[in-house]
Amino acid sequence: MELKSIKDAFDRVANKHKLSYTKTHEIVQMLSQELDKALSLMQDTQLDHKSILVDAKKLFTEKSPVAQLESAEKELNVALTKYPKVLEKQLNPEISKAYRTNAEFDTHIVNQIIANFFYRQGMFEIGDCFVAETGESECTTRQSFVEMYQILEAMERRDLEPALTWAGANSERLKQARSDLEMKLHSLQFLKISQGQNSQEALSYARKHFAVYADSCLYEIQKLVCSLLWDKNLEQSPYSEFLSPVLWDNAVREMTRQYCNLLGESSESPLSVTVTAGTQALPVLLKYINVMANKKLDWQSVEQLPVAVELPEEFQFHSVFVCPVSKEQSSEDNPPMMMSCGHVLCKQTITRMSKNGAKTSFKCPYCPTDIDSTRCKQLHF
Amino acid sequence: MLVGIDMQLEEGSNVENLQAQRCRARIDHLDSADVENITEWNNTKLKRILVDYMLRMSYFETASKLSESSNISDLVDIDIFREAKKVIDALKRREVASALAWCADNKTRLKKSKSKLEFQLRLQEFIELVRADSYKQAILYARKHLTPWGATHMNELQHVLATLAFKSTTECPKYKALFEPQQWDVLVHQFKQEFCKLYGMTMEPLLNIYLQAGLTALKTPYSFEEGCTKEDPLSQESFRKLALPLPYSKQEHSKLVCYISKELMDTENPPQVLPNGYVYSTKALKEMADKNKGEIKCPRTGFVCNHTDLVKAYIS
Repeated sequence: MELKSIKDAFDRVANKHKLSYTKTHEIVQMLSQELDKALSLMQDTQLDHKSILVDAKKLFTEKSPVAQLESAEKELNVALTKYPKVLEKQLNPEISKAYRTNAEFDTHIVNQIIANFFYRQGMFEIGDCFVAETGESECTTRQSFVEMYQILEAMERRDLEPALTWAGANSERLKQARSDLEMKLHSLQFLKISQGQNSQEALSYARKHFAVYADSCLYEIQKLVCSLLWDKNLEQSPYSEFLSPVLWDNAVREMTRQYCNLLGESSESPLSVTVTAGTQALPVLLKYINVMANKKLDWQSVEQLPVAVELPEEFQFHSVFVCPVSKEQSSEDNPPMMMSCGHVLCKQTITRMSKNGAKTSFKCPYCPTDIDSTRCKQLHF
Repeated sequence: MLVGIDMQLEEGSNVENLQAQRCRARIDHLDSADVENITEWNNTKLKRILVDYMLRMSYFETASKLSESSNISDLVDIDIFREAKKVIDALKRREVASALAWCADNKTRLKKSKSKLEFQLRLQEFIELVRADSYKQAILYARKHLTPWGATHMNELQHVLATLAFKSTTECPKYKALFEPQQWDVLVHQFKQEFCKLYGMTMEPLLNIYLQAGLTALKTPYSFEEGCTKEDPLSQESFRKLALPLPYSKQEHSKLVCYISKELMDTENPPQVLPNGYVYSTKALKEMADKNKGEIKCPRTGFVCNHTDLVKAYIS
């Protein structure tokens, strides 16, 4: 986005505004002084009042304050009219073109989504205020998120007890989710004890808690225990990494992710994921809608986008297979099939290439291999 | 002498300075977005969008709280919406005075955009006089306030003035409609439209526009399947309902996500096929083999095979 031209246009407005104000102020001051002068002259002297007035009038005509004011005002106005034009040119003011009026949202659903967003961000006061103001029913997830933030806040204070208790209680489910959260928490606790200059206690903690991870985290455990040798000056040791606050940040992130996961929620807020995806998609959609409008096609009734909106990797939640020959997305009726050479096509494409099975073999479109159509394997992604 | 003028000048300038400061804050905010802080910036953007939604829905208390606690007061338009709310409430009480005052305040810009809001408000006032059988007053009112619009809106003017002959009890549908209470809702809607247009805002809440675009981009047939991953917003019932009338996205190229690690399978981490046809990423399978002495167990079917039984698949 080109912001420089907007900034320049705005600076011009601000500048002219200041000038116009100073100018007006000056002129009012000048008028005021001259009038005062004329008045006091009239009071003090016995001179002809008329001539004083004539002089004052002459002075005012010469200085023509109105014309001066007008020119300052005009400059400001020119800057002011230009600014919105620059804004409109640089920023797209018509994003509502992408809005489908036939897909009106249910306010209750949107409000529930927003309330849930506030709770999962830990903004309980605002969430409660929102629920009260909208009159929506209480969010069912609120209590769970309160507990999560109690655990996270304790971690911020470097108190791992609540986190360890939770991880211990959910040990099995964490293992199923292939999470090393429990081990992460135990190693942080171990480091905390050892940095508290208590090697003996740290060792017995290691004995008690690390043994179960011997298979999966052997190297990590070796490093941790070895770091005890440098208990007085870990900074200068090969293990200075153990002092890094990044370890804690990672643990907090993993804690959040696993807590949400076990709660049946995504690790990122779904509202923020969707809005971010929307931010990425809007420019493409708007471009496409413009093209449609030129072809007199109706955006409101499209059932599938005719163009791809490329989103970054983190928005890719599903495996999508597009047959490189037919360009069609695979489906249950038309599954992806791997040929003996390892290249993958859709079933319909393979049927077509083998002329409905009339030909026993055909050539792979990507390599010189002869393919036996009966020996292709269906894939599951 | 002229002290009053000078003071007025300063007052006006102060108000303008405040507005200028807001503009500056907004430009600076736009400028502050870069790769490093994009997560945080997007977060602020979401909060701005939420405040905008609340203002349009008249949830003022939460809107103020959120904008204060997130330090985005300069980036949202609480005051402007509060003014609009006053006008809307008055219209709902069937009072046009504040709406007319708003029209007068923004006269030049409304004229430029050829708005006929004022005319419509005046017509409604006229109708109310007819409803109350105050014909004389109605005629006087029309002379004073409606005639200036004659040059541009003669047809409507004639249509409404004919109610003098039909009275409020008329059964003639063309005129009966003018006396319907819904006419006031129409005025509210028209005011909202003019208001948004004047301030360069979209008619719909920004949230709805962004949500629609995001849901469209994310919507795939897989999102509605039973085993849909929790990470997909569309796995949630509420998001599914919102997405229902929206179009599906389109993919032009294959994109494969490993079932085990949820990582993208690309040339760096290519897909490998088990003898049963199930596909996982090389990295995830290697990790599994290393832990289990070369044994691979398909997490979806329980099928067991050796690491050496895997074949690489080529996806183009």
